[in-house]
Amino acid sequence: MTKNNLIFFFLIIFISTSAFCQLDNLKWKRADLSYEKTNKFRQKDYSFEFEDAGDFVKKSIAYTYWFFISDVDGDNCPFRPSCSSFLMQSVEETNIVQGMLMFFDRFTRDMNLYKGHNQYPRLKSGYYYDPPALYTLKKQNLNFYYLPATEVVDE
Amino acid sequence: MKLTLIIVLFFPITNLAQNGHFNFHSTENKKMFADYLFCEGDYLRAVEEYESIRDLIRNDTIDFKIMYCYSEIGLFNESNNSLKRISSNSPFRWAGLHLRLKNKLIENPKGLRVFHDMPSPPDMSERRQKLILTSNLFDEEIIYEKEDFLYVFEKGEGQTISYFYDLKKNPPYKSPALAGFFSAVIPGSGKMYVGEWGDGITALLVTGLLAFLAYDNFKANHNTRAWIFTGLGSFFYAGNIYGSIASAQIFNARIDFEFRDGLNLFLQQKNYFMPEYDFCN
Repeated sequence: MTKNNLIFFFLIIFISTSAFCQLDNLKWKRADLSYEKTNKFRQKDYSFEFEDAGDFVKKSIAYTYWFFISDVDGDNCPFRPSCSSFLMQSVEETNIVQGMLMFFDRFTRDMNLYKGHNQYPRLKSGYYYDPPALYTLKKQNLNFYYLPATEVVDE
Repeated sequence: MKLTLIIVLFFPITNLAQNGHFNFHSTENKKMFADYLFCEGDYLRAVEEYESIRDLIRNDTIDFKIMYCYSEIGLFNESNNSLKRISSNSPFRWAGLHLRLKNKLIENPKGLRVFHDMPSPPDMSERRQKLILTSNLFDEEIIYEKEDFLYVFEKGEGQTISYFYDLKKNPPYKSPALAGFFSAVIPGSGKMYVGEWGDGITALLVTGLLAFLAYDNFKANHNTRAWIFTGLGSFFYAGNIYGSIASAQIFNARIDFEFRDGLNLFLQQKNYFMPEYDFCN
């Protein structure tokens, strides 16, 4: 290797290291990334702030179910929101009586012996999308929330 | 050898180089580029190019294309405003007015009856009649008789419109009250009536099983267990009646959705009865 080539290689290495070096004002930092998969339907909020007695009863039942059954048994509900979340949302959207009726209907549909869930649209993750708003018997809700089974819903 | 190579490289670089005399951004070149984008279906970029030369070339074809592009990309207000620039003597004026009706219908799917008496030349009048009559199928109630509806359509179109008309007049709805009543008499039968057989049979078995367990425990004097099963069974029974009513409502929503979806598809296939212009050949 000649002397010129050595100078040439030296220059290349010198220029690249000096031009692209880490500066004081631009120090590389640890990336603060979260690799946790976010899913709005799976977040369980265990906070025990309640507005009234009904809210207290509802949260007590749901938390007990989540803590002793759902969290131990695993993610078995094919629907989103899951049956326990469906109960919570139904009661919030309507009242305790209507919410309970909506829940027992949902629970029967969940138990479907023939696994005939073809009438529901799916989420990208494969769960069936079945929001409580469809079951409040309000026509405006139906017009807004109804989706055909062929639709794939964003999470 | 080296000299030849230098000349071969140098000559084309200097002689065939891009120089400042050629104006890529001339009005004519922009128009050609916009026409190309329009024919490729890239309406978003086409309208940007057309807008940049709109004031430099007074051309009703460009004005109509701008209106059409805005409509295709869903900017209906801009599209409707572009109609003002198309002069009343232009052959595109009537097509522009028709395009405005199309925009209104896409934006707000309901009957366009108020535009029924708008004057127009005979060929456009027929297209407009077709669009207005079809738009009435989006309304809650149809005020026209079937004969008044079909006279303007050709045979193939007529059959489709006749099908939609019949579906609108007699939609295959399921009665929510009847579904609830059926489930009250035989648990699950309301769901079966709506077509959800799996849910119906499940509801029948679950309610039946809980009722049997309650009866059996009462009979054996296990009153606490019996009342638990009675309570559970009652909730499943009532929930099933409620669910049958909700399922019938959802079934009807599905009928309405499929009707609107089918009608939109028909109108899209017919391009909302717009006159056809071949701008690309």
